[in-house]
Amino acid sequence: MKQILSTKYLPFISIFSLIALIPLVISKDQYAMVLVTTVLLYAVLASAWNIIGGMAGQLDLGAGAYIGLGAFTTGTLLTRWNITPWIGMFIGGFVSVSFAILIGLPLFRFKIKELWYALTSSALVEVLRIVFLMWDEVGGPTEKYLPGGGDNALYSLRFSTYIPYFYIILIFLVIVIYLNHRIRNSKLGFSLLALGEDEDAAEVLGVDARGNKLKALMIYSFIVGTVGGLYACLYGFLHPSFFSTEISTEVVILGIVGGMGITYGPFLAAIFLVSFREYLRAALGGELAGLYLAVYAVVLIVVALFQPRGIAPLFRRLFEKVIRSLGGREHESSAKASS
Amino acid sequence: MNKKFQQVLLTLIVASTLLMSSCTAASPKTPALPDEIVVAVVQPLTGSFAVFGNEAKIGAELAIQHINESGGIKSMGGKKLKLVVEDAGEKPDTAKLAVESVISKNRPVAILGLYISRFVMAASEVTDREKVFLLADALVPQVTQMGRQYLFRPGPTASDHGKLAYAFLKETAAENGVEIKNMAVLNEDSANGRANTLGATEAALMDQFPIVTALEYPYDITDATQIVEQLKNVNPDVVIHTPYFNDAIVFAKAFQEVGWYPKFIAGAGGCGYTDPESIKAAGEGVEGITMTYSYNPAKDTPQNKKFVEAFKAIKGYIPTEAAGMNYYDAMVLYEALEYSGKNFPDDPLKPENLRAAFMALDLKSGPAVETYPSECIKFDGKGDNTCPGVVVMQVQKGEPKVVYPVAEQEVKPVFPNPHYSQK
Repeated sequence: MKQILSTKYLPFISIFSLIALIPLVISKDQYAMVLVTTVLLYAVLASAWNIIGGMAGQLDLGAGAYIGLGAFTTGTLLTRWNITPWIGMFIGGFVSVSFAILIGLPLFRFKIKELWYALTSSALVEVLRIVFLMWDEVGGPTEKYLPGGGDNALYSLRFSTYIPYFYIILIFLVIVIYLNHRIRNSKLGFSLLALGEDEDAAEVLGVDARGNKLKALMIYSFIVGTVGGLYACLYGFLHPSFFSTEISTEVVILGIVGGMGITYGPFLAAIFLVSFREYLRAALGGELAGLYLAVYAVVLIVVALFQPRGIAPLFRRLFEKVIRSLGGREHESSAKASS
Repeated sequence: MNKKFQQVLLTLIVASTLLMSSCTAASPKTPALPDEIVVAVVQPLTGSFAVFGNEAKIGAELAIQHINESGGIKSMGGKKLKLVVEDAGEKPDTAKLAVESVISKNRPVAILGLYISRFVMAASEVTDREKVFLLADALVPQVTQMGRQYLFRPGPTASDHGKLAYAFLKETAAENGVEIKNMAVLNEDSANGRANTLGATEAALMDQFPIVTALEYPYDITDATQIVEQLKNVNPDVVIHTPYFNDAIVFAKAFQEVGWYPKFIAGAGGCGYTDPESIKAAGEGVEGITMTYSYNPAKDTPQNKKFVEAFKAIKGYIPTEAAGMNYYDAMVLYEALEYSGKNFPDDPLKPENLRAAFMALDLKSGPAVETYPSECIKFDGKGDNTCPGVVVMQVQKGEPKVVYPVAEQEVKPVFPNPHYSQK
C-alpha cells in the first residue's frame, strides 16, 4: 500500500481519481456518458494490445475474435443457464485464452511473425464470424437479445444507465494499465521488448521467444475476452458481427498512434482519437456523409508523418516541460519512472 | 382601531390566498408546445449500408417537407416539423452513440431508422429509456419482440416478403398455365436473408409444396458460380432468392456464366435485382427477375405521385424501398401527432399520450395510407402493423414495374422468364 501511494504512482492515482469524478459532472447527459464509456472501453482494448503488439512487436489483428468469443460465452451462459455475466465474462476470458493457446502454439512454434502473423490473426476473426454465423445453436444470423434490466440489472449486468458500466470499465482500465506497467518492468517485459526490437537477436541472447510471446498472447486474449462479455451486456444482444475486423483494426491503430510499448500510450490515443472521431461524426456525419472518415484518415496520416513514435512521447515532453516550469525537478524523474 | 385593521388585513390576505389558489387549480398546467417539433432520421450514411441509408434520408426529408408545405400539424396550431440527420455508421456502438447524440442535442419526439436490425436493437434500448419514438424500417421480425413500448414498425416483416414471393409464384404460374413442381430457396446469411427464406418456406410447407434445396451464402460473396452449379444439379423449377445488394449482381452474372436457369427467379426482401443500381450493373442479367418491395411506387394516389415526382427530381429514378419506407413512416408519425393534438390537447407531445395516439390509429385514408402498400395501418401491442403490405416488382425492358398483387398491378407479369430459354 505504501508503495502504491508513493510519489511514483501519484500522477497515475491523480489522473484516475479525476476520471472517476467525471460522472458527477456529466451523469445527466447520457450521450456524454456513453461516449466516455466507449473511450474507456477502447482504452482497455488498446492497452491490452500493447502487451502483444507494443511490447512483443506482434501485429495482432485478432482482437475482434476474442471480443466475439467473450461476448458469446457471457451471453450464452446468461441466456441458457442464467449464469451472471459477473462470472460469465471471466469464463469468456478463459475461453479466449484457450483459443489463443490453440492458435498461438503452432504460430509461434513455426515462427510465423510480422505480416504473416497479422494476416493469420485477421483471418481468425473472419473464420470465427462465419463459424458463429452458421452455428445456429449459439450464434446464427439473427440477433439474440440479452434480457435483464429492472430488478435483475445487477445480476444480468444490464443497466439502464451507463454509470455502472463506466466504473466497471474504469476498474478494468486501472488494472490493465497497472498490469502493463508491471510487465514492462519485469523479466517478461524486458524479454518482450527485446523480442519486439529484434527477435533473432533476442533469441541468440537466450530469450525464449515462443514461451514469452505465448504468455503475452494469453494475457492479451484474457483481457479482451473478458471485455467482450462487457461489450455484449452494454449493447444488449449477441450477433456474429461482434467478430469484427473493424474493431480489431481500430484497436491496433490506437495502440500504434498511442506509442508502441508505452504504458499509457493507448489510453491517450483512445481519449483523443475515439472522441475526435465521434466529434467529427456528430458534427459532419449528418450533413456531409463520409467526410468525417476522410478527416479522421488525414489526422492519422499527419500523426504517422510527424509523430511516428506515437503521441505519448509528445505528451511526455509536454508534461516534463510543465513540471520543469513548476520547478519540480524531483517529480520529473518520478514521472518518468511511472511511465 | 388597530386591532380591527389587523383583522381586516388578515381576512383580505386569507381571501386573496384562497382566490389565487383556486385560480391556479382551475387553470390546467398546459406545457407550451415547442416552436418546431423535432424529428430525427438516423441511418447508416457511411460504410457498407450507406446506399440504403442515403436514400432513406431523402425519403424522410421529402416527407417532412411535404408535411410542412401542407400546413404542418394542424391539430397543434400548424406546428412545423424540423428534421435533423445523424449518421449511424456501420457498427452497433456507432449506432447507439448516434442515437444518444441526437437525443442529447435535439431531443426529437421521434426517430426514423436505423435500417439494420442489430442497430435497431442497440438503439431501441436508448429510445425506450428516453421515451422517444422509434419508427423502425428494419424488416427482421425479432426487432419488435423485445417488449419495447416506444418502437413501432409500420412496414411489413421479412417473413411477409417471403410469403408474398411464394404466393406470387404459385398464382402467376397457375394463371399462365405453367406447371411448377418444386422450388429452391437461396439467401444471404444475415438475419434478413434467413427471415425471408423462413417466410417463403413456411408458406410452401403449408401447401406441401416440395423444396428441393435450401442454400445460404455469405452476403459479401464475390463468385456465385459454384452455388449456381449446385442449383443446376438439383434443377428446381423456380428459385426464391433473398439477396442483400451486390450479391444480387454477382448471382445475376453467375447464372449467365453457368448458362443454367430455372423457369423463374423470384427475389424476396426488397434489396437487389430491381433497384436502379442493380439494373445498371447487371443489365440483361436481371431482366424478368422479380423482387418483393415494402413500398409501392406505382400506387395511384395524389400523395404517392407527389412523392415519386419529388424523388425522381432529385435522384432521376423512382423511389427505392428504403426511401419509400421512410416516407410513409414519417407520414404515420404525422397521423399520430394529429391524433394526439386532437385528443390530448393539454399535452399532445407527452410520450404516454403520443403512444396512446399510435395505438389508437386505424388508418384507412390520408397521406400515410396513400403511400403505404396496403389500404390500412393499425398497430398491435408489439408495435407491428396488423395489415402489412408488400408488392412484387419485375424488371421489364430495364424498368422496374409493379406486377403483383393483381389489384396493385402496373403491368402484367412476364412468366415464365422468356430470357431463360434453356429450361
